[in-house]
Amino acid sequence: MTGMDAILHGGLQGYLVVALLLFFLGLATVLLRRTLLLQFMGVELMLNAANVALLAFARFHGGDAQAMVFYLFIIAVAACEAAIGLALVIGLYRHRDTTDSDRATSLKQ
Amino acid sequence: MFITFALITLLGALGMLLQKNVVVAGLCMVAAFFGVAGLFVLLANPVAAALQIIVYTGAILVLVLFVIMMLNSHQEEEAQAARPVQRWLSVALVAGLAFGAMKLVLGSAGVKALAVKGAEMPQAMTLQKVGTTLFADHLLGFEVAGLVLLAAMIGAVALTKRNL
Repeated sequence: MTGMDAILHGGLQGYLVVALLLFFLGLATVLLRRTLLLQFMGVELMLNAANVALLAFARFHGGDAQAMVFYLFIIAVAACEAAIGLALVIGLYRHRDTTDSDRATSLKQ
Repeated sequence: MFITFALITLLGALGMLLQKNVVVAGLCMVAAFFGVAGLFVLLANPVAAALQIIVYTGAILVLVLFVIMMLNSHQEEEAQAARPVQRWLSVALVAGLAFGAMKLVLGSAGVKALAVKGAEMPQAMTLQKVGTTLFADHLLGFEVAGLVLLAAMIGAVALTKRNL
């Protein structure tokens, strides 16, 4: 498989392209949206993109089990990040009555 | 098959980026995560697919949707300032980075060699293989991950509880 064919029919390049696009869609969400919850979901999407690339490389490396271990660590960290991040959003909403990251500016003043 | 799951993933992510309603954006994210789980199945890795569905769609997304309902802020708030310069700069940054990374990945000789070398399907990943590697070679990391999860749990309770 070469070129476009590899991208369209599940060659390594195809998975890497999907991972890259997923990562950049997540980054765009973090940069362009103002709602903290959506920015947080963008971060989760970026973590997921890293997982796709990692496991694609593992499969083309002959089904390496080492990658699964790192995948487990990544989702453990993602779960921690979800819990803490959402707690922070709730904290902000309690104090400021907003979930808009543009309105959380008291450190700027 | 690959193209189907890739499209589900990417359209879900795109929907999340463009959707005005936060609840609908969360549901788009469910679609993206299911698509990624499908990609993991195609990568001969059913263990990762199951974990993806249990952890991401099962735990993290339910948590996110609960918080959205709890905060009752389904629509994005009105912008205080339009900030057109920053928005265009971030679009340009993302597009530039995406273009550069895509060029690097598709032009890389190492990626091409690996794609040819590993073309035949490996044996499907089993839970046994994962468990053996995890507990034989990475026991300390496993224990630390448990500790990190405990710390996050305590931190989340401490942050959200009004008066401990």
